[in-house]
Amino acid sequence: MTEMRKEWVGFSPRRIWTIALNTLTESVRQKVYLILILFALVLIASASFFSQFGFGETGEQEALEQLKFIKDFCLGAISVFGMLIAIVGTAQLIPNELESRTIYTILAKPVRRFEFLLGKYLGSALLVLVSLTMMSVMFGAALKFKGDNYLRMAHESVRQAQDAGSAEDLVRQAKRIHAAVYDADLVKALVLAYMKLALLAAITLLVSTFSTSMVFNVAMALMIFFAGHLVGAAKEKWAESALARFLLALIPDLGVFNLADDVILGSTSVPWAYVGKVAAYGGVYLIAVLAAAHFIFAEREM
Amino acid sequence: MVSTFGFEMDAIQTENLTKKYNLGWGRGRLLALDGLNLQVREGEVYGLLGPNGSGKSTTLKLILNIVWPTSGGAWIFDVPCDKVVSRLHVGFLPENPYFYRYLTGAETLNFYGRLCGMSGTPLRKRIDELLEMVGLARARDRRLSGYSKGMLQRIGLAQALIHDPRLLLLDEPTAGVDPIGSKEIRDLILRLKAMGKTVLLSSHLLAQVQDVCDRIGVLNLGKLILEGEVSQLVRDQRRLSFTVQDLPESARAAVESAVATAGGKVVSVEHPQTTLETLFLQALRKDERGAGDHD
Repeated sequence: MTEMRKEWVGFSPRRIWTIALNTLTESVRQKVYLILILFALVLIASASFFSQFGFGETGEQEALEQLKFIKDFCLGAISVFGMLIAIVGTAQLIPNELESRTIYTILAKPVRRFEFLLGKYLGSALLVLVSLTMMSVMFGAALKFKGDNYLRMAHESVRQAQDAGSAEDLVRQAKRIHAAVYDADLVKALVLAYMKLALLAAITLLVSTFSTSMVFNVAMALMIFFAGHLVGAAKEKWAESALARFLLALIPDLGVFNLADDVILGSTSVPWAYVGKVAAYGGVYLIAVLAAAHFIFAEREM
Repeated sequence: MVSTFGFEMDAIQTENLTKKYNLGWGRGRLLALDGLNLQVREGEVYGLLGPNGSGKSTTLKLILNIVWPTSGGAWIFDVPCDKVVSRLHVGFLPENPYFYRYLTGAETLNFYGRLCGMSGTPLRKRIDELLEMVGLARARDRRLSGYSKGMLQRIGLAQALIHDPRLLLLDEPTAGVDPIGSKEIRDLILRLKAMGKTVLLSSHLLAQVQDVCDRIGVLNLGKLILEGEVSQLVRDQRRLSFTVQDLPESARAAVESAVATAGGKVVSVEHPQTTLETLFLQALRKDERGAGDHD
């Protein structure tokens, strides 16, 4: 059987995809995600059921405040639930594989270790993407439902306006409400929120390549998550110290992914160039994290 | 199997295979496997026997490159084990597998088939064939969380066989399985042997593997302390036993004296006993015939 020597097992995107889909299926069928997602969706939907205000002299202010509240509340909920799903969903992947011994059956097949690792990561990133998309759609629906209500009232006021001057004024008001509802910056905020969660999932996977305990993985990932949000402030405080700057550069600056505050204040639009810059930062960091995870995992005996 | 060079090819070969595990924190190293030289010929069923912790699982993991040898090496069909290619023709059933609880039997096999590069109609046909072969055709759409231990072991065998490998590594295939399940798994191993597959299995249940293995090796504390063909090892060359049916009690003395005259010595005369396992299987079979078909 000399032909066996000619056989070659190359890098296979198909195998990675098979493992990714399997990981996603496994996660989706666990009730814990279903409950988490349902809870998040109910919470987000509930944001639009807060008390209705009349539209009049102060109506515009009321409307804009309400819409601001919905955005603030929903983006916050998406951030928290997204974080939970990214961390919990990823932290258990490798411990579960070891416990059910499926990792042995997979590695006993002609599968490369980094294909396994990348497949697991992609499955987790897909789970976060699916969850985030569902939450975003619900958020959009809640915002539109509430916003359209205000717009209807605004148009009604325009129709009933006594004179041309006040009508013009009311039209301007309606336009401002329209802009607050159909705000393109929300899309930018959600894109960066996803990038942050994808990076967080990769960091959690990196932690789980050298630990065997799911609790440790979750705790470490949470610590890195919070540290990542404080690092921006710390960088400003210790800007003079080269050592501090070096150490702080190792922690991902997760704060830069947060557009919620800018979007909610809505004073100036966030340029796409900023989104691109942050995405590039996230991409480089993501590759570095996955490479580190690969080097640790490739050397690990199971 | 003879290679083009005319040499007999071994399905598995290990040379001075040694594994020490670091216990960590200055507690030293544990010698799990000590200079194992193993040769499993293509087409045979080889049983690796030994008590718990004797190095059986470590041997299998070393062959599959899940852990790495401290020294020595292992080859599968002459390909070094640290090459991914060496695993193209290997199927593996780990000890006490649980698999993916949320997948059904058919989905599980589909997943492993895809990992081996299979797809479409050939994969679908192979899945049906294997589910039939391991007796899980009716449980194909049930999730594995609802499978019994014996069923998990059988889906594990099917998973190992999905890409029709030439070599199977089975780690304690009958451990924790009831006598019927164990019998079914042993029958399957014999069928695989008849199909020309090579099987390396590990077990601490000696009686269970005696009738399926061609050769066995006994490991203790990481060392191979006994190896040989089962039929040779268990045969007592000096003794011979007759099993006689319907012999009148009066003729017994004549038989005994004939043996004595010829220079032999009667060591024992007794009624042969059936094994509890045989009795158990017979009773269940009778019961099933009465109760009709059930799962």
